[in-house]
Amino acid sequence: MAANIPAGIDKEQAFGMAETEMEYRVELFNRLAQTCFNKCVDKRYKEAELNMGENSCIDRCVSKYWQVNSMIGQMLSAGGRPPM
Amino acid sequence: MDKNMLAGLEGLPEEDKNRMSAMIDHLQLRDSLRMYNSLVERCFNDCVDNFTRKTLQKQEETCVARCAEKFLKHSMRVGLRFAELNSQAATQD
Repeated sequence: MAANIPAGIDKEQAFGMAETEMEYRVELFNRLAQTCFNKCVDKRYKEAELNMGENSCIDRCVSKYWQVNSMIGQMLSAGGRPPM
Repeated sequence: MDKNMLAGLEGLPEEDKNRMSAMIDHLQLRDSLRMYNSLVERCFNDCVDNFTRKTLQKQEETCVARCAEKFLKHSMRVGLRFAELNSQAATQD
């Protein structure tokens, strides 16, 4: 990402953008982790380990969440804001 | 999130690298504290329902310990997958 700074942006703006991007990634990760935990892990906590089913579920959940994230990213950048 | 993000910053002058590094440290610290709080809240909500006593019962303690360990393991696994997907996406750009 650091290589893709568009022309006409000064250094302060670039740092600001980098910080925003990093915060976005952290937020994405946290929401992803919370969501997939809620969807995949049995709340009765019968043991401390993740079982095989939970592991598979987590991998698939992360993959699908990522796809949804990409889809929406594309929709938002293509169509702009939805009409009010 | 870790200093692997700094791999993209090789060409930058030292002071810029330091600034980015400080930014990452700050974000990591903040994220760790948030994680701590949210983990406590989660495990409390999932494990503690009984308020006839003011100290945790053995079963509640066990539940909390498992809950925390499970979430941390889950978080590590998600981190691995996240990093894989991130690097796939980066090579596609």
